Amino acid sequence: MNVRKIVTVVEEIRSEGGRPVSPPAKVAIVAAVIDNPWAGQGFVEDLGPGIDENASDLGALIAPLVIEALQDEPEAYGKAAIVGLDGEIEHGSALIHTLKFGDHFRKAANATTLLPAVEKRGPAGVLFDIPLKHITDATIRSHHQTVEVRIADAPHPGEIVVALAAAAQGRPQQRLAALSTEQ
Amino acid sequence: MVCCMQEIPWLRKLVTYRDEVVLEGGHAPAVPARRASVAAVISNPWLGTGPEQDLGEAVTAIAPTLARMLTDRLVDSLGGVDAIEAFGKAALIGSAGEIEHGGALIHTPYFGNLMREFLGGESIICFADTRADAGQPLVVPLWHKTHAATRSHYQTVDVRVSDAPRADEIVVVAAASTGPRPHPRIGDRSTDPAITSLTLEGAPS
Repeated sequence: MNVRKIVTVVEEIRSEGGRPVSPPAKVAIVAAVIDNPWAGQGFVEDLGPGIDENASDLGALIAPLVIEALQDEPEAYGKAAIVGLDGEIEHGSALIHTLKFGDHFRKAANATTLLPAVEKRGPAGVLFDIPLKHITDATIRSHHQTVEVRIADAPHPGEIVVALAAAAQGRPQQRLAALSTEQ
Repeated sequence: MVCCMQEIPWLRKLVTYRDEVVLEGGHAPAVPARRASVAAVISNPWLGTGPEQDLGEAVTAIAPTLARMLTDRLVDSLGGVDAIEAFGKAALIGSAGEIEHGGALIHTPYFGNLMREFLGGESIICFADTRADAGQPLVVPLWHKTHAATRSHYQTVDVRVSDAPRADEIVVVAAASTGPRPHPRIGDRSTDPAITSLTLEGAPS
């Protein structure tokens, strides 16, 4: 696995809707920019060997970094694979839609739910939104949220950006009725 | 842990960005460096005022707090004051403000002197500014914090806040790096030949 660059972003929201958010709402994202393991190989029928070679290592690399960046206990999380223009979206999905990748984050965060994800293809500097949901109950409405990311010079056409995001709380000023109130 | 939990009414959001180049041109940098920018989204204190407005009072009230908050996060993100070798600053002014409003917050001693002090620097701090809509990226220039002419440390770092600046906001940025560009190899003033237009006579034009 060739990592070109590691990017960390931390957002702290201090006010929303004109009212203070206390403690500040924190969201952290860590992204690794890697060579697409299937670059230049044409259509690869069996993605299994490339997944085995890379997915677990990627999860092991990024998961502790995002928890360290958050400096708090994650309550919501999500993931992303952004494929450079020469690759297939399937290549990004291959790397992140496997327990080999996600379990590193789930274990580190004491989480149980599936990680919500974004997969897309784009040029360097493309914007992408990472969806986050609660780490133990994906129906907890207060924790449905999104964080936007951009890396100026990634992904190159032969690269993939793989990212994990963690939030220490739900949305700032969250005040929607719980799902159970409508059932 | 960086902290300032007290409520600051003019502050909406802080965004810290850091990148670390592991490979550049396919090779690991001889001196690995981390680069970071920290952006504060604040209400423009001079909204609705004209060019006759004196900017001094709000600068003294706001800029020192910004210098402390931004440099605290830079230091925390980059591993300490001593690890920081290069620095820069920036302002993105929402469309209802003047460029001068951003300049007031980053170009006066109430920000610049304090940022230099907190990061252990001596150089003038290089900068970028722009009037921007929310989500517009800006490239922030950096140079060496004690020897500004050190060519290996001429570099930039990106800053972007997805939903700022709103028209009535200003994004104030401090940025820094722990080292040079990944593979610096373009010499320095001490190694340059003496180039003038006369020494290049005969070059195609």
